[in-house]
Formats: sequence, structure tokens, C-alpha cells
Amino acid sequence: MASRTTKALLSLGRINIPALGLNNAVSRVTYATALSVNSSSSKKGAPERNGRGFGSRKPRREAEGPRTEKMPVDQDWTAVYPAATPFRPGSVPLPVRMGYPVKGGVPPEKKGNLELIKIPNFLHLTPAAIKKHCEALKPFCTEWPSALDTDAKCDEHFPIKVECTDYVSSGLSVRNPSARIVQLKVKLSVLNLDDHARKKMLKLVGERYCKDTDVLTITTDSCPLRQQNYDYAQYLLTVLYHESWKTEAWEAEKTVADMEEYSWEGSPSQKNIMDLLLRMNVAGEGEGEEVREQLLGRSEVQEYKDSVTRLKNEGDNEGSVLQYKEAVKKVFNL
Amino acid sequence: MAAPGRHVGHYIQRNGRFLLCNIDQVLGHRSFGCTTAVRQQAAEANKESAESIVIPRKKTWSKEAVLEALASTVGRDSTAYSYQFQDDPYLSPRTAVEFKLYSLSQESGRSAAKYFVNSNPKFFTKDFAEPHIPCLMPETVSLCLEEVSEEALKERINLRKVTAAVDMYDQLVQAGTAVSLETTHGLLDLISLYCDRDPVEDEGPQTEDTESKDPKKKKGNYRRASDFLKFSWKENNNAERIFNLLPERDTRCYSALIRGMVKHGAYAKAFSMYTDMLNNRLTADVHIFNALISAAPEVREKYNEKWELITELLKQMNEQKIRPNLLTFNYVLKALRRCGFLAKTQSLHTLSEMKALGIAPTLASYDHVLAVFHRSGSSGPNGVDILQEVVAELAETNFTCQDPHDVMFFANAIRVCLDNKDLELAYKVHSLIEFGENYRLLGDPFHQSVYYGRFFNLLCMMEHVDVVLKWYKRIIPSLYYPNPQGMKDLLQALDTDSRLDLLPSIWKDIKSFGHDNKPDVVEDLLSLMTRDNHSAEVQESFAACALDIKSAFDLNLTSRLEWTNSSLSHVTMLLLRANQTKSAWEMLPLFKSNNRVPSDDLMNSFLSLCHTDGTSQKAVELVQMSAAFCLPTTPQLAKRALAEFDLTEEQRAILSELEAAGGEPSD
Repeated sequence: MASRTTKALLSLGRINIPALGLNNAVSRVTYATALSVNSSSSKKGAPERNGRGFGSRKPRREAEGPRTEKMPVDQDWTAVYPAATPFRPGSVPLPVRMGYPVKGGVPPEKKGNLELIKIPNFLHLTPAAIKKHCEALKPFCTEWPSALDTDAKCDEHFPIKVECTDYVSSGLSVRNPSARIVQLKVKLSVLNLDDHARKKMLKLVGERYCKDTDVLTITTDSCPLRQQNYDYAQYLLTVLYHESWKTEAWEAEKTVADMEEYSWEGSPSQKNIMDLLLRMNVAGEGEGEEVREQLLGRSEVQEYKDSVTRLKNEGDNEGSVLQYKEAVKKVFNL
Repeated sequence: MAAPGRHVGHYIQRNGRFLLCNIDQVLGHRSFGCTTAVRQQAAEANKESAESIVIPRKKTWSKEAVLEALASTVGRDSTAYSYQFQDDPYLSPRTAVEFKLYSLSQESGRSAAKYFVNSNPKFFTKDFAEPHIPCLMPETVSLCLEEVSEEALKERINLRKVTAAVDMYDQLVQAGTAVSLETTHGLLDLISLYCDRDPVEDEGPQTEDTESKDPKKKKGNYRRASDFLKFSWKENNNAERIFNLLPERDTRCYSALIRGMVKHGAYAKAFSMYTDMLNNRLTADVHIFNALISAAPEVREKYNEKWELITELLKQMNEQKIRPNLLTFNYVLKALRRCGFLAKTQSLHTLSEMKALGIAPTLASYDHVLAVFHRSGSSGPNGVDILQEVVAELAETNFTCQDPHDVMFFANAIRVCLDNKDLELAYKVHSLIEFGENYRLLGDPFHQSVYYGRFFNLLCMMEHVDVVLKWYKRIIPSLYYPNPQGMKDLLQALDTDSRLDLLPSIWKDIKSFGHDNKPDVVEDLLSLMTRDNHSAEVQESFAACALDIKSAFDLNLTSRLEWTNSSLSHVTMLLLRANQTKSAWEMLPLFKSNNRVPSDDLMNSFLSLCHTDGTSQKAVELVQMSAAFCLPTTPQLAKRALAEFDLTEEQRAILSELEAAGGEPSD
């Protein structure tokens, strides 16, 4: 079979000549002529070896060019690459080059290029193909309900969104364990939660809540089947909701450290400012609860309270610090 | 190559919706927050929810429905070879021989693998495929039950081991065990089907299945020797013996025997068995009648007797209240082909009977009718009307193979078109094939090549060359490898419309189809190229082509191509016309070595060539050569040479001698 391979190499050399043209033409030509002697002698040798066999046994003819030469320009590409298949240089009529450039040259051409074969290609999913597929899949679809024409309406009527993924691959098995994962998303604003329930819910779910978008995401993958994971996610949502509405006995032991946001009433800041004002204040007013009430009622104290609350809740940004400064100045009449 | 597809569904399920609606009802109006805008939205939402959201019912479909829908978007790629081959320039079959070779080798590899899997099932127990693929798992082919019992008999029947089954049955009978009627039916069916011989696949792994040959699966023209050995039904073989020993015989036993007899050629016996059955007051069934109808033309000689027998059978069928099926009518039509003059009217009657009974005629029925009305070689409208009606009837229908004879329809239909030179009809027949999946009904590759050969023949004869070339690109070589006759037709068509400039590319195709060793094709091509003078670049291409042809002659390994007078002359003329003088001079010695004589025109052209080149020595040699060939134009050549060239005295002397010598009358 050596003669076959040399013949193949010979034709390889011959075919590349018109393709390359310029640089390597000379070297290829010499390559080709060096081999031609061998192959022509081997061709004469072949008939003796294959005297018997399927009738007139010729040695292999020169391989023709790839079928890209015969492809008309307006052919139906979806018929050439109907499904996901590896790259075939003889069937793709594009002068694609890929790979690390030869020294002082260009990336290698597509013929015999392993780099092009290794990567996934999407030749089977050209826009024309996708259009055809969509047309073919339309009978499987049902109509979108006409009442749901805006996103807002969809969110309003169907606030829970469930996401699952299907995987397609070619191999021995069509099953993919990642297909069991179910992700359930819901906005907390549509759930009927009062203040306590909301805080408890947030504590229960922890990281699954995104504050910016107000979306609670529950991802379940602990069960082997998608249906089971979906049921589990629904169950979790229900349980979270009901649990957050219940108040347990031990919740009364909530300390200041457990509080989610800063509240000024009963905090050291209130105590401090009250003491300060009392001591600072006109001594003639007298002690007692009414004085405290009156002091609290003053607008500067209210402002001070707002600014401290804001500072503690929002953090140090320019606006809150400035507000604090103004409030303190007002309280001390500076 | 994994391509994960994201499927994001607004998974609208009733449960989710009801959950929220319940919450609504229990806990009052949802609080969206404090902003007025949202409150407005809430108000609007309340209004809209009065307009009901109709969720459509979810559709269900079979597991393959999506794949089939996507597959229906794929058309045919006209430059690709058949899908079973590797799509690589080096590995695709270029000729019909290679096609057969590759497909047979694939089949043999497959059956060798199947043989290994079946003979070593202990190595193939693990099932990797999910979902399960039954045909890849080992099948039981060897017997496991050895004791004398009915289960063992059933097993042998299932595995189609005829002789073993008969032995087991005999042992059971001798032991006195009663064998159930079902099993006896199975045994009789088995023996009758295989004519009391073991089926061929017992012999080795190389053979294909002897079961119903799916037209798609059978590759190539591979006819085993056993196909041609017609097994004939012997007297008193095992089937008859067992039959006679049966205590009670019912319709199915008779049916097995009668069908076996008809299948293996014992027609008269079949009929006598049928009368036996009637005498025992049993009713037949539709299979018996089908078999008898197909046997009827064999047992009678004259046309009307045959037809009477068939009508008799049909009447009896009616009396016994048995409903005919499609095969009944197809066999009637097939028998009518051998009934001569009666056939035309009766076949049409049969067709209308079929329609009256609600059985749709298939391609096989139409093929028989067409055969009745068409006689190849006769003049006049020869089945064209019938074919036109048939085509009109069958347009836009999807065919399935219901009768093994269905696959012969298209080859015969296109033959009718060819004989009548009716191109429109041929296009209509072809449109039947191109509809949906009807191309499967073209049969095995042999019949397919017959069909396309005839179709292409008709196109070359009748159509303009542009259309011919368009079809050429479409069907060759992806569907059809043309034979030498096809190539000659193509050359003819090119000649008719004067597209001879395409000849070099046609020569390339001829080479790739492996016809460059067919002398008549090459001769045709050469004569077409040489006949007229063409423009300069066309002549150049012709000359290159001629050199190529010359190398084909030189490399002639199969010794089928030999230089003839005309081929040598043509090649030389082409080279001369393109001014490839060196190669032309190299051609001249070939005449001598192959014992061929050059023509006068050739010599004259060579002389003109010498004149333009100014090589007088060569001119003299030329004239000497023509003298050696004893050409009659030698004196004229000599005269011309003397006149046109300036020669030395010696050369003049030689030439005058030749002139004189040629002037003498030859005896």
C-alpha cells in the first residue's frame, strides 16, 4: 500500500500548487517531481500484484479536487451541513486559515488543519438554517395568551419564574446530570410580607436574596430528577413564607446585634444627646419625663435623629456626613 | 461535540398561579408599596385581571417528532456522495465499481461485527447506550434447549433451524407427546417457506439476511448463487409427510403447504391440494387465494383459460366470503400480463374493482397495468396515456412500499417516456420521486442507476444543452454514475448545441468515472474535438486534453485501449492545430510502433508545419516515412516538398525518386 500513500502525497502536492501559487510553489514542485518517479514505477508494479481480484484492477486514479470546486454559489448550505459535524475542509468552500503562523508567513490553511477540526463549529446553524428550523418548529408551539402583552403584566400574573436547562450532546447517552437543576426566582415585593415577616424571611434565606433587584432565587439540585427538584423548590418557597409569618417565642430575645437596621429609639446616641441637652439646657426647666418629651419634640433633635439614623444605615457618604454636621450645629446653636 | 441548549421557559403552571391567587383571597389586596404610581398600576391590574388569561393546552408529541420536523428542513446536497460514505475527497467512491465495493465492504464489516457479537455474547453484556438500543445487543443464535420438548421445538422454529425442528418434531411424535396446533402451524410454515432446507445464513457470516429484503438495505448487484438455484418442491418431503400424519388439518395447515408449493414451483400440486381442502369442506383464506392466483398462469396454456381460472378463483373467494386484499389484485394484474389480448380491458376492470373495494392501487399495480399497455419497440402512443393518468393520480402523494414489486415502477415508467420521447411526462415522473421521501421507492442501486440512466438519456436527446448540464450537475455523481453510453449521449448533446468547448472538462469527468479505458468513448471524444476548427484558447485546451488522452493510452494497463488510426490521427491533428510541434513530432513514431497508417491530411499538415518551421530535413524524412507507409499521396507530397523547400542535391534526388516511384501504377 506504500504506492497508494505516495500517490496520495503526490496529488496533495499537485493540488496545493494552484492554491498557494506564490511562496512554496518551487519547493512543492520539486517535492512533486521527486515523487513522481516512484509512483509511476509503482503504478506499473501494481498490476502484477493485483492480477486476480475484481476484474480490471487499476491502481488508484489521481484523487480529484475537493467538492468545493463543484459547489454552485447559490447552493443550499443547510443541505451541506444539516447537523453538527466536524469541520471538513473538502466540503466548506471558505479559505479559512487557523493556527500559529508559520515563521514569516501566515497561519496554516484549512487542508489537514487539526485546529479547525478540534474546535466546535456552527456551520449547521447559519441564519438561514435557524429560520428554517423555527418554521418547522412552529407547529409544536401554542399561542401566547393575548392578554399577556407586556412584561409588566407577565410579572404581575406570573410572578414566580422557574428556569431549567436541557443539554444536547452526541455520545453514548442522552442523559446529562446537570439537567436536574431547577432555579426558582420570585420578587419579594409580590409576596404579602409585613415588616417582621420580611426581616425574618431575609434572615432565613441569607445569600439567596439580591437586594438590588429584590429577587429571591432558590436553586435546587439535591434530588436526582428535575420534577423532584421543582417540587422541592415550590415546597421551600411555601415553607419560607409561612415560617416568616410565624413568630416564635425565642424571637423576643432579639438583641441589638441581630437588628438589620439601626433604630434611634433606645440607642446610646439618644441617651447621650438627651443627657447632653439636659445638662446643657436651661437649668430652670426642671427634670422629668415631660422635659424629655419636650426635648424630643424639638425639631433639631428630630433632625439629629434623622441624620444619625441615616449615617448608621447608609454608611459614610458625603451627604449623610454633611447632614449630621448641620444637625449637630443646629442642636448646639453654633 | 456538546452544544448545550438553554431552554428558558416561563414555566407557566397552574399550581403557581393558584398559589398566588389563593394568597390574594386570604390576605386581601397585595400591598405594592407606598408610591402612588404603583397604586395606580394596581388599580389597572385589577381592571385587567377581569380580562381572562387563557392558557392554551400544552401539546404533546412523540419522542421523535421534533427530530423529524427538523429533518424535514434538510434538502439534498447535489455535490455530495451517498451519506454512508466518508465525506472526504480521497474516500468517496468515484465510479460505480468503487461504490459497490465500498458499500459491500461496509456491509461485510457490519455483518462480521454482528457475527462476533452474536457468537460471544458474554463479552457484550454491559449496555452503554441510554436509551437502550436493542439491535446492538447480542442476539441468541444458538440453541440452548436440548431436551425433547415443545419449548425446544418452538425455539428451533424461532431460530429457523429447519432440519433440527423436523427432527425434534419427529422425536416428540415418537415419544407420544402431543404437539399443540399452534406449534404445528409454525413448523409447517417454516418448512414450506424454506423448502425443507436450512436457510443459507447457517453457513457463515458473510451472507445477508434471507428475510424480506428492504429495498433500501440491499446494496449493489450482489446476487448469491443460491438465489439462482431455484429450490423445487420435492415429492413427499417433510412438509407433506408431517401434513399427512396430522390427525386433524385446518385451514392454516393447508395454507402453509399451498403457499410453499407455489413458492417453490409445484403449481399443479398446489391446485390439487386446494381441491382436497374444498372436499374436506374447509374454507380457504386470502393467502391461499393469493398464492393460487399467482400460480394460475403456470398451469394453463391459453390466454382465455388462464383468465377463466382466475375468475373462477375469484368467484370462489367471493362465495367463501373472503375479502381480497391488495396482494390479491396485484397478483391478478401480474397474471394478466401473461394473458395477451385480454389484458387491456380486464386490467382496467380490475383497477376499478380495487377502487370499489376501497383498496388503493399501489405502484406495483400501476406497473403491471403499464406493462400491459406498453410494448417496447412498437410505434404509436404506447402506454403514454395510461402513464399520464397514473402520474396525475399519484402526484403529491407519499408512497410506502406495500408490495415487493413496487420498486420496479419507476424504471419501467421512465422507459415508457424514453420510448415515446416524452420529456414532459418524464419530468412529471421525476417530480413524483422528488416529493417527500419517495426516492426510497427507486429500489436498490442497480434499479436506481437504470432509472437515472434512462432519464439522462432522454434529457440528452431532447433538451437544450444548458438544461442537460444543469441536470448533469444535479444528479451526477451524487445519484448516478454514468455508464459509457451515458457519456456518449452527453457528448452527442454537446455536439448538437455546439458547446464543444466543454469537452476537456467532460474528459476529466470521464476519467474520474473510470471510463477512460473504453475505446468507443475516447474515439467519440477525439473525433468531436478534431472535427472543426475552433478559437485559439479552445484549441489550447483541446491540445492539453489530447496530451492527457495520449498519456491514458500510454499508461494503458488493462489493455483495452489501443491506438487506432483515427485516434492517432486525431490526437496529432489537435496537437498540430495548437502549434505544439514537439509533441506532434513525437506522435509520428507511434504510428509505426502501433502498425497504424497516418491519413493524407495529416501528412499534408505536417508538411505545412515543416514549411513554416523551415526544417527541410524533416520534410524529407516525412516524405520518406510516407513512402514507407505506401501512402498514395507520396508523389504529391514529394512534389510539394520539392516545390516549397530549398533542399540540398541529395535531398532533391531522394524526393524525385519517391515522386517517380509513386507515379507508377500500383498493382
